[in-house]
Parts: sequence; structure tokens; C-alpha cells
Amino acid sequence: MSIELFIEQLEALAQEADKAFSEAADSDQLDLARVEFLGAKKGRLKSLQKNMGAVPGDQKKTAGMKLNAVKNSIQDAFESAQSRLSSASSDGQRDVKFDATLPGEAFHVGRLHPITQTINELKDIMGRLGFTPAEGPEIEDDYHNFEALNIPRAHPARDPLDNFYLSVAETTSGNDSAMSGNPLLLRSQTSTVQIRVMENTQPPVRIVSLGRVYRPDTADWSHYPMFHQIEGLMVDENVSLADLKTVLKLFASNYLGDEVPVRIRPSFFPFTEPSVEADYYWDGKWVEFGGAGIVDPNVLRAVGYDPEKVSGFAFGLGIERLCMIRHQITDIRYLFTNDTRFLHQF
Amino acid sequence: MIVSWNWLTEYVDLAMTHDDLVDRLTMSGLNHEGTDAVDKDHAIDLEVTSNRADCLGHIGVAREIAALYEIPLNLPDPQPVTGSDSISQHCSVVIESEGACERYTARLIRGVKIGPSPQWMQERLKSLGIGIVNNVVDATNYVMFECGQPLHAFDFAKIKDGKIVVREAEPEEIFEAIDHRTYQLAPGMCVIADSGSAVALGGVMGGAESEVSEATVDVLIEAAYFDPLTVRSAARKLKLHSPSSFRFERNVDSDNLDWASRRVCELILESAGGELLDGVIDVGSPPPSRQPVNLRYSQLQRLLGIEIPVDFVAPTLEKLGLVIESSDETSVTAVPPSWRKDLTRDVDLVEEVGRIYGFEKIPDDVNVPMSASYRPKADRVVDKVRNVLTAAGFDEAVTPSLVPQPWSDAFTPWCDSPPLISSQPMLGVLEEYSHNIGTVNLLRRSLVPSLLEVRRINDYRSNANVNLFETAKVYLPSDGQEIPDQPMKLALVSHRDFFAVKGVVEALVKELNPLAVVQVKECDEALLDASQSGELWLGDQRLGWMGSVSESAKKQFGLRADAIVVEVDLGVLEDETQLIACHANQSPFPPVTRDFNFIMDDEVRWASLESTIRSESGPLLESVKYLETFRDEARDGPGKKRVLFSVVFRSNEATLTGAQAEELCNRIITNCTSAHHATLVG
Repeated sequence: MSIELFIEQLEALAQEADKAFSEAADSDQLDLARVEFLGAKKGRLKSLQKNMGAVPGDQKKTAGMKLNAVKNSIQDAFESAQSRLSSASSDGQRDVKFDATLPGEAFHVGRLHPITQTINELKDIMGRLGFTPAEGPEIEDDYHNFEALNIPRAHPARDPLDNFYLSVAETTSGNDSAMSGNPLLLRSQTSTVQIRVMENTQPPVRIVSLGRVYRPDTADWSHYPMFHQIEGLMVDENVSLADLKTVLKLFASNYLGDEVPVRIRPSFFPFTEPSVEADYYWDGKWVEFGGAGIVDPNVLRAVGYDPEKVSGFAFGLGIERLCMIRHQITDIRYLFTNDTRFLHQF
Repeated sequence: MIVSWNWLTEYVDLAMTHDDLVDRLTMSGLNHEGTDAVDKDHAIDLEVTSNRADCLGHIGVAREIAALYEIPLNLPDPQPVTGSDSISQHCSVVIESEGACERYTARLIRGVKIGPSPQWMQERLKSLGIGIVNNVVDATNYVMFECGQPLHAFDFAKIKDGKIVVREAEPEEIFEAIDHRTYQLAPGMCVIADSGSAVALGGVMGGAESEVSEATVDVLIEAAYFDPLTVRSAARKLKLHSPSSFRFERNVDSDNLDWASRRVCELILESAGGELLDGVIDVGSPPPSRQPVNLRYSQLQRLLGIEIPVDFVAPTLEKLGLVIESSDETSVTAVPPSWRKDLTRDVDLVEEVGRIYGFEKIPDDVNVPMSASYRPKADRVVDKVRNVLTAAGFDEAVTPSLVPQPWSDAFTPWCDSPPLISSQPMLGVLEEYSHNIGTVNLLRRSLVPSLLEVRRINDYRSNANVNLFETAKVYLPSDGQEIPDQPMKLALVSHRDFFAVKGVVEALVKELNPLAVVQVKECDEALLDASQSGELWLGDQRLGWMGSVSESAKKQFGLRADAIVVEVDLGVLEDETQLIACHANQSPFPPVTRDFNFIMDDEVRWASLESTIRSESGPLLESVKYLETFRDEARDGPGKKRVLFSVVFRSNEATLTGAQAEELCNRIITNCTSAHHATLVG
């Protein structure tokens, strides 16, 4: 084939393509035209390209250049038709084939555990009230878990059956930590953190501690051998029950998102005197909030504070209960099974 | 403690309404849990805290009411008539275990006629839900619920030789209780025995053998003080709890034994007749006399935050049974009554005065001084970690800190020491599928096994695309530490592939420190696949491990599909965290990008190739980006791979010239060729 003929064919094709593209009335017609001229396998340009093999060798370069030019011009014609049609549709013509109501591509944002969400919220509120988070070990010794908290050896809370006392695997006998003077156990309350902080800090102290605590209850819908507590402590000169009640009211109102009445009524805890239970009024009834009180002078003395110079209040709340009430969770075990259908609800 | 409204009227005039009464009791420390209407009576359920054993009887509650409403308290003064014959002629008591029984008193009534107890007594006991037995047993119960002191009546004919011995139980001693069940006792428990065998388990329950029956003629009345701890541990070991043990565990009033004994004798004589022998056997020691407590009025304001009128203080203490020794303008000194062992210090009296005055009068709007709190770095780091992981589609799990042995042994990269063992197992925390895995009593040394169980649970429940993380402490014992190490770890389990999860870890590290780079070294952990795994490092600190769960571990944990796990140390992440990032100027000049395609041995690791690329490129090298690896054995031969990567050069000072770029490229080609026997393609 002569180069002249080849060029002629190319130019004719370009003209035809240009016409087909510019006459296409919608995207379907344009697509048909695109397949006819630019189709990767059976497109007319593709088949014409095969003729190049018949062009004499010394003219192949010229033929190639012409082929590329035509290819580009057909491509340009297609693109301009495409943009003509798309701007036409944005001018008010709706393409029924585009269904904007189809779901978007699934994109899962992970969920924080509801316990974490509750903790974060409580910590935030306490932070705004000037309480700094404090951490303490979960494995504690008897001294910090009981003794320093004014819980005497005969107290029922210290019964070995009611605590997770610890020993080391290899020990066969004699070295059992439960037998030694200051055995180790998984802490049964976050109050231990109070002691550790006060041992290392001079007043004023304003902390909040949060975390896991352990008591060997058999798991059922309302019990779990591991749960979480939040504990607040404020020690300064002349801290009184009025300060406690004020802070608890701010805390509860902040948490519930509305001004709520708070009451305190006498109770008993070894580490506070006076001891109180705090309730908040919600939905027409008093709901238990948690235990609180004025830090017992024996506790202050145990950490080297002078109870004649400083006083303080402490309070502790169970996180699971707050979390379950708020989210209407009916079984505490759901919290620790971690079924993702459960987790995805929060 | 259930109290009967009608019964209370015997001691105080209840002119108030029921609702007013239970409100005031709640607000003064006896929380109202509910009231049931019983016949013409109210059975009022009050929660009594463990320090207030005195309120485990009607008189104690009545005393509270008298103090709250400032009304008189009327108490019986039992003075039963006695015969001339003396009890000491017929009966003796010896306390052998003084630790378990501080004081024991006995009275003897002869010639009783067993029959029903009086109607009024039956009604009151029924209001409390107490079963009716006979005029002797009901009387002992009645007095217990009246004053809080448990009493016991023995059929004296069954007490061999009239001899009572309070002693420790013998090993494997057998005892049949009134509930007609047989218990095996153990040393440490306290029994009441006659000259032969045990007739009662001290403070817990009487024996069937010496029980008062219709045939009983003579009754021996026991009023004693048993040690709270001894009673509690016996009741608990035998799972035998009674109203009696409940009260002894909370410390009864040893000073009141005689009153209670006289009171029950009086009631028995009234309804069962008989003759009370003269005298009382009273062995052991009476309680030490109470020390006076001084209360400074200033303490009230200081600790309660309200001003309480001074003339309110002493009368209130008196109403509660304290005896005022002296008082002046600044303080009052008073001796607490025997039934209030919880009152020993001024702060205890502050509570007494405050609660009767009313905690509701304490304001809730005082000016608490402002104080700035701060968020510790660890907290902020964990928050960032959680933000990245939730953005990456991971849900947070919370799992128990104790695990069964197979899980404990499955993955222990942080620690060679055996795990800490808990004396108590966690019960009810395993799913049924995992029930037989073992006792949940080991403190975990890794979070990964717990997450694999969560993954299994989700797989079994057909939950797709399970990607989970947990942040929690692990427990790593080591010698010579008072408190074992309890570092915080972060663990992940994922359905995605190795590099998808590694990308999450890298993104996490970048979030905390934009300049930190995660390095991977080979590791040898049985839980992980031999090739798809690695030890993660940040600089010279070991960050943790990650890998695909090995086939055998998948079998062990019941997994049906592949899982990638990661565990890293949050402490190392915290160390590396740059909370405040620093700005570096961006170059205004255009980059030069060059792609490379090298053929090399399969053994060449990307990390080492990248370090070669970077080794001599200097500050002009902006970034190296791995593109892909492919293999074409036909063209390149066996054991070879092609690695494609792209390098960006840029200068802060000028646009790079073609010659500069070419020189940098040539250096890379030369270095890669010599260091890795790599051949450039094309």
C-alpha cells in the first residue's frame, strides 16, 4: 500500500469519527461511536493501523507520525463530545441511570468500647473541675489496698475468699504471697491510688483515678469479677462535706446534661469519716451515684499528712453501672464478650 | 434489717407518718429499701451498715428515732423473779478458747411448760417473716430482734453433766445442727460442748440433739459474746448463715448480755412458767470501760461545712446514748455507750451530730477554689492511639485480665517468668465453647490470646470483618520486685492481610512521631507464622511483635480464617511520642522523580535495600517509595525477583539539574549493584 493511500484512509476515518462524535445525542450514542472508532480490539482505527505494515519501509516513519496525529485528533474529538454531553446534563438534563440513592462505599469507623466512652466523659468532666488523672498499679500489696485505707485485718473485705490474692507459679509452698506479711492481690478498689499519690505528693491534692478493679464474684447479668471504678480525691486546708456535695452536684449535672439535685446520706466506709452515699434525682426518683466521704484521719496519718492541718474528701463510682444505665445495657457480660454487633452500637 | 412499725411503738411514740419516718431514717443512715404491709403492721426494710450492729434490733432503731424526733425512748427493765436454788449448784461453764468467746453467761429455768408463744409475740415475729416455733424459742428470737443480742436455749436435760465447755472444734468433728443437717467441723471453729460432744456451733447455730422440744422441762439460756472473725469464717466455710451469725459477725454489745438474758427469762417465765434459778454464770471478761471522746465544736464547721448550733450538740449525743462528762464553750467530752464501738474519735462524733442535724442542710453551691488540671502524657498518647485505630476501622475490646493456662502459655514474648497465680479463679467469664480450656486463674502476660478468643466468638457468630484492639496492663513478675511490672500494652487482631495491618501500625507510629520509623526484625514465636511475622523496633527500643497466626495456633484458638495479631508496648510509644511537632521549611523548588527496577535475589530484604539507597544520597534525597515486587522465572531465573521503587530528589536551594539527578541515580545504581548484586532493568 502506498503511503498516500494510507494517509487518505486515515483522514477519512478522522472526518467520520469527528462527525459521529459531534452528532452523538447522549452518552450511550457517544459510547457506541467510541467503540466503533477507538475500540481497543475491533475499533476502526485499530484495524487501519494494521495497514501500516504494507507501507514501504522508508516511509514507515512518516506513516507512524500521521497515525499518531490522527489518533490524537480522534481522541480529542471524543473528549470534546464527552464534555459537551456532560455539561449538557449539568444544565438540567437528568441521567436516570445515575442513582444517587445507592449506598456509598462502606467505610467503617471503629468504635470505642462503651466503658472507655464513659470513662473518657467522666474524666473530662473531672478535668474541667480541676482533677488531674492519676494512675496506679492493679497488682497491689495488702498495705495499700487495705491497711493504709484503715481497713483492719478482721474486716470482711479482707477475707481471702473475697479477693484475688496472688502467688508465683513455681512456688510449691512457704513462699505464697498470701501467707507473707504484705501479700499481693489484684486491687479491689481504686482508692489504692489515693494512697500512692498522697505518699508522694504534698497537699493540695486534686486527682481522679480510673481503672480496673477485681472482686471474685461469679459473673452473672449484674456482676463480673472485673469492673471499673472512678475515684476522686481532694485534699487541702478546710475541705468539707459542702465541697464534696458541690463537686458531686457539678459532676452529676455535667454528666446528665441538666441541673440535677444531689443528696448525701450517711453510710459507712473504713477510709472515710463521715461516710456518705450520694444520690442524684433523675426521672422522678433518687438514683444511687456512689460512695463518698471525708478522708478518715487514719488514712491521712498513714500517708504522713497532719489531719489537724488538712482535710479532704473522696468519692468512688462504679463505671459499669453508670454506663449500663446510660446506654440501657441489660447484662454486664455483654461488655466483656465484645461481640462486634454489640460494640458497633455505641 | 426488717423492723415492725407496731413493735417500734413499744419504745417510741410514732406520731409521724410512715413516709416521713422512712425518709428521715434514710437521711440519717438507715436506708429505706421498702415496706410491706403485713396484717395491720408495716414491715419496714432498712439497710444497716456493718458498723451499726446496734440497729440490728428494734431498740437500736427506736433510739435513732428518738434522737431524730427528739422524743423519749422507753426501754423495758427486766427483773425476773428467781427461786432460791442457785444455778451454780447445777451447771458450770468453762471457756477454753478465749479468743473465740470473750464472755459467756448462762441462766437456768426449771419446770417450763412448752407450748405456743403469746399472740402478740407471734404477730411481731411474723411481721418480720420469722417462723414460729414455741414459747421458749420464740422468746429467744424475740429478744434477739429486740436488742440485737442472739440468744440460745438448750434443753438442759441433754447437757451431759450440766457442764458447758466453750472450745475449739476438733479435726473432722461431726455436728448435727438444728436444721437437721450434719456438718464436719474444723479447728478454728468454736463449739459449745457438754462433757461429751458439741451441742452448738458457737454464735452460728444450736445442735439438734439439745434442741428445745415439747418434752423439754429445764432450759439453759445462753447469752454470749463470740468473736466476729471466728463466727464469720465458720459460717462461711460451712455455708451456714443465720440471723445469729449475722449479728455476731458485726460485733454484739458484750455489756448487754445480762440485760438480754434477764429479758428472755422474763418472757419465758411469763408464757411457759417454771422457776428461774438464782444467779447467773458469767465467765470470761466484761468489755473494757469506754474512754471519753472530746469533740471540738470547730471540727463540725471544718468537716461538715455548716455551722451547727452549739446547744444542739450535747443533747444529741445524749439521745444517742453517750454520757456527757463535761463541756465548755469550745468542746464537749462524752463517753460513748457500749453498743457504739464505732465511736472512738472526735471525727466519729462529728458524723453523729451531723447526721442527726441533717446532711440535707449541707449546701451544694459553695465556692470550691479553682485549680488547673493537666492531662498526663500517657493519657494523651492512649487517646491518639485510639483515634488512629478507630479511624482505621478497629473496634475496641475489653477482656478479663485473668486467663486459663493454655492461653497464658500460648504467647509470652515479654517475659520468661511464669505467670502470677490468683488464689481465686474468675468464674463465669468463659463462653460455653471454652469451658473446658482451664481454670481462669493466671494473670495474663499478653493481651493477644484474649483477643484471639474474642475473634473466635465473633467468627462463630458470623460477624464479618472483625478488627479489634485492646489497651490494658499485662503482668510480668520478676525477682526482687515488691510490686510486679504491669506495663500497658496495645494489641490488635485483624482480618486484613499482613501489610494492611503493618500499615496501620506505621500510621499509628507516624501519628505519635512523624519522624519515627518502624523496623522489623525476624522473630521466632510459635504463635506466629514463621515468615509472616516480625519483631517491631523503634530505634533501639523494642516496640513489640506482629504476625500472622500460625496454623497450629489457629487450631488451638478455634479460628476458621487467617488472623493478623500485633502487640506493642505503650510505654515505648509514649517515649517516642512528640506531642509538639516542629516545622521544617518546604522547598519551593520542583522535585525530580526517578523510577528504578532491579533484579535481585529473593533473600534481599527491602529494609536493607532501602538503607543502601539512602546511604550516599545525602540531603537531596527527599523520599524513597516502594512500588512493587514481581517474579518472572522464565526471564530472570529461579530465586530472583524484580523490585520496583521510586525515588524523589529535591533541593532546598535550587532546581536540580539533569546532571545532578543523573549523578544521584548512578550512585544508587552502583551501590545497589555492589551491595546486593542487583541488576538494573531497562
